[in-house]
Amino acid sequence: MTAESKPALLQARDVTVRLGKAAVVENASLPLHAGELVALVGPNGAGKTTLMRALAGLLPAEGAITFSGEPLETLGRRRRARAVAYLPQGHVFHWPMHVDAVVALGRYPHGDPFSTPSPQDRAAVSRALERTATTAFADRSVITLSGGERARVALARALATEAPVLLADEPTASLDPRHQLIVMDLLRQAARDGGAVLAILHDLTLAARFADRVLVMDRGKIVADAAPAEALSPQRIAQVFGVDAINVDTGEGIVPLARHPL
Amino acid sequence: MSWLNRRDLTLNGALIALIAILFVLSLAVGPAGIPLARVFDALFSGEGVAGIIVRDIRLPRTVLAVLIGATFGLSGAALQGLLRNPLAEPALFGAPQAAAAGASLVIAFGLAGATSYAVPLAGIAGTMVAIGALLAIAGRRASLTVTMLAGLALASFAGAAIALILNLAPNPYIAMEVAFWLLGSLQDRSTEHLVIAVPFLVASWVVLGMSARAFRALTLGEDAAASLGVDIDRTRQAVVVGVALGVGAAVAICGSIGFIGLVAPHLVRRMVNSDPARVMLPAALTGAALLLAADIGVRLMPGVVEIKLGVVTALIGVPFFIAMIFSERRMLEGSPS
Repeated sequence: MTAESKPALLQARDVTVRLGKAAVVENASLPLHAGELVALVGPNGAGKTTLMRALAGLLPAEGAITFSGEPLETLGRRRRARAVAYLPQGHVFHWPMHVDAVVALGRYPHGDPFSTPSPQDRAAVSRALERTATTAFADRSVITLSGGERARVALARALATEAPVLLADEPTASLDPRHQLIVMDLLRQAARDGGAVLAILHDLTLAARFADRVLVMDRGKIVADAAPAEALSPQRIAQVFGVDAINVDTGEGIVPLARHPL
Repeated sequence: MSWLNRRDLTLNGALIALIAILFVLSLAVGPAGIPLARVFDALFSGEGVAGIIVRDIRLPRTVLAVLIGATFGLSGAALQGLLRNPLAEPALFGAPQAAAAGASLVIAFGLAGATSYAVPLAGIAGTMVAIGALLAIAGRRASLTVTMLAGLALASFAGAAIALILNLAPNPYIAMEVAFWLLGSLQDRSTEHLVIAVPFLVASWVVLGMSARAFRALTLGEDAAASLGVDIDRTRQAVVVGVALGVGAAVAICGSIGFIGLVAPHLVRRMVNSDPARVMLPAALTGAALLLAADIGVRLMPGVVEIKLGVVTALIGVPFFIAMIFSERRMLEGSPS
């Protein structure tokens, strides 16, 4: 079966989101399939975060968003939380809690208010810590960590839910090159393990290198949904981002390189 | 990771032991000194003058100090958990002032006797308005600057409302009585007061305690918490109702007592690795111990007039608050408004 004919895990059809009177996202449609890493790119203010929050069920939206064919709003909070994990921008931790306690929050939708963590919960937390290589500082406070370590802990928290769908909003923002690559590798691994991963990215080169598919958003609309080479052609980058770009062969494939603003 | 691990059991056990010691001391200390050895005798037999003093005068006062202190500690921890801010405290947001405004309205105009349910209900209504307005103004992002400014405005407004009530009080004796009651005290509180307060206090513990896990998830911010299945709106409502029930009823019984909610969670937070859920029980126990200790303190201070409890907690609490601002200065300066 091709990706197109396979039933999507998460499907958006004609999704429109209004914040106040303005439609920030207009008629966005997209499928997310198990096993694929999809990049969502677009200029600041294109509506990427708003679309992602709607896909996570955090914003009321017109149109239909379904998980395995079931409308998101009929899933209920807990089932929705077990189906779709969401990693917001900024890797925020308001309290200096210990890393293992933060990662264990990923199991929140699996427990009830008075239960202690089950063996499955503990196992999922250890797996998430291991995958993100954060086991070594599991019993350290999050404030003692560097930005890159915090990003990995935040991702570990989202992975610990073991939800089939992972939505990550700018997971590589403000990270050094090494950590950007580590995070992208982790997202790709999550997809290879059978998850459907959607990541908002600003680095078009990273998007082209790691994503199976790239969605380009411009002024609230999805203007491209295709393989990286097609979605991120120099013409489209010029049109959407207002940037002159060329294709560069890295030896591992062709990636766009932004040169200067038009 | 679990709700109550061994370290938490040790911490909470130690705090309960401390409360037990203070409890016995509180029964022994007062104008009529009763030797510790005789306290138990007097408490259980209830015979003679010592029996009356311990059972009818000091026991209600002591139990109220424990329950109300715990309520303030828990309310502080809950507000801090919801707003993700260690400086949140009901008194800074005008909650006791609003409760006092509601309750003194009832007292000053003789709408009901001082030991009727109307007083705590008026206090609860006042607190609900204040905390509800605070959360409405502070909004979803609950930025520190907006929250603090809104709290300042609400506290001032409640203060003005109290001033207006004193101003319009039908006779000066009642105004005097309300003014003294506002200073906060557990002096001369009876079993009757206890019976009125307990249902509301226990209800507030249940409502706030149910949100403990939500507070923990909120450490990731509202969006991430919501994505984990936390009902943010319901959590906010639970905090408004829980704090209103607890602080409203407490203030209606003992007058305005502040800063326990700020100090208590702070003292134990590090011992639970800053976990906003695990801090709730020790914060409540610490609040109980603090208020009990303060109430013993006011009885030990020499002087003809007993110093009011609310005066003591404010005199200790405000410098503590300033010290906290000082130590958190870097975090505060860096925080987005």
